[in-house]
Amino acid sequence: MATSDINIFNQHALHLDPTSKAISLHPSTTTHQSTTQTAAINAELQQLNLLHRALISLDPPNIPPPPLPVNPKRSAQINKLRDSANTAFRKDNYAEAARLYTYAIDMAMGRPGWEPVTLTREELAGLYANRAQAYMSQQAWPEGMLDAKCSVESKPMGNVKAWWRAARCLAEMGRWEESKNLIERGLEIEGKNSEGAKDLSTLLEEVEAGIKRSST
Amino acid sequence: MVDWVNLMVPFAYLGVLIGSLATFSSLYRKRKARKATSLEAWFPAHLQRDVYFSLLHLDPPAPASSKEKKPPAIPEGVLKAALLRRATEDIKRVMTLRSQKQALSMLLQRGSVGDDLWQRFLRAEKEMEDEVRDVVAEANAYVPNWGQTIFQSANEMMNNVIYRDRMEFHQSKVDEERQWWDKKKATIQDGFMKELDAESATAAPGASTTSSSSSPLLKKLDATATPTTGSSTPAVKTPDSSRVASSVPGSDDDAVLVEADEQAGSKKKKKGKK
Repeated sequence: MATSDINIFNQHALHLDPTSKAISLHPSTTTHQSTTQTAAINAELQQLNLLHRALISLDPPNIPPPPLPVNPKRSAQINKLRDSANTAFRKDNYAEAARLYTYAIDMAMGRPGWEPVTLTREELAGLYANRAQAYMSQQAWPEGMLDAKCSVESKPMGNVKAWWRAARCLAEMGRWEESKNLIERGLEIEGKNSEGAKDLSTLLEEVEAGIKRSST
Repeated sequence: MVDWVNLMVPFAYLGVLIGSLATFSSLYRKRKARKATSLEAWFPAHLQRDVYFSLLHLDPPAPASSKEKKPPAIPEGVLKAALLRRATEDIKRVMTLRSQKQALSMLLQRGSVGDDLWQRFLRAEKEMEDEVRDVVAEANAYVPNWGQTIFQSANEMMNNVIYRDRMEFHQSKVDEERQWWDKKKATIQDGFMKELDAESATAAPGASTTSSSSSPLLKKLDATATPTTGSSTPAVKTPDSSRVASSVPGSDDDAVLVEADEQAGSKKKKKGKK
């Protein structure tokens, strides 16, 4: 039976650009396929070309190395950027700090896909939390809130600061209910006895007072 | 003398019987096989796999009239990238199958789903097994021992994509949130101006309630003008609360006062716009 025949496939007419080595769909074949199909194939080919370029930049044999150990170069660069951003923050130069954190975040986002996602998460959780702080110091609550939320999502456990910052930004914008929900979720995940849970609890009291005030 | 005619009868009977049974059986089997193949596939077409094989089978364009230069074959890097993409999609599918298996077998036991669905599932499972084995073999053909790590890499790639999408989703809301906050900030400031105007306008009797509420408002205005922490929170909140209070029918006096305030405020606002 041919039910699981591994050798059956739908052939797509592909075309190799001889100079750039980019693969594209042959233009003559787009007629007898639906547009959504063509779009899907094109998207896939774009991803493929990106990946190909990423692979070319590797050392021979041009295959992604196993996830561990990680190439230390990028981590070092990210750390450098983070340190300079931290110094800028300490000098109360918040706009500059936010800019530098943004660079560091872009750098961490640019990690090749085959490197372990846990590492990326860890790094970005810290960077987002710090950028949230930099935005908060400039009273840019919406940006701070989103960054803190990103941080929390990257690393829900042991990230009390980011929980607090997200809730604080929401509270500053007068979104008490959202803030309260966030704090409660944070407390649930962090545990009531953890290190920063006290800060969260005090903020929760403040938020509850805010809710009461807004409803009277 | 043997009676040939009479002897033929049982043989003819047997022949007809066996013949009809054989026809029936072959027809039945054929139909069953057709039904099995016509069962809908569990997954949609495997695009990455199609691309990979298309690349493998891509005939180099017919050599040009001059034979000095052969048209370049597909570079190995492209094939490796395609194989990696294929592995990523395979991981996704294997995970899906694994998560569905338990639920599906439970449903099957209870008789909630038909046998067809189970057949489709089993077929998909078998296909994926073959597919994974094939990918590993291909990977080993490119670079020895790549087969051991290709799925690890593919797994990380998949997770990274998921994670990055989440982050982008959050960050894409920046503009929206910013606009919302700018608008809200403007209304809050309008609120302050109204309160201030109202305070100066209604120094009349019965304003005892307003004056008591507007004095913290003054402080609040200061609070937003100069960056503060902590203490500013309750203050920033107040305009909102006063707005809520105006919509909720409280005591009659209050409602009247608020209405008056709003009228005064709107007049001022119009003036301000001019």
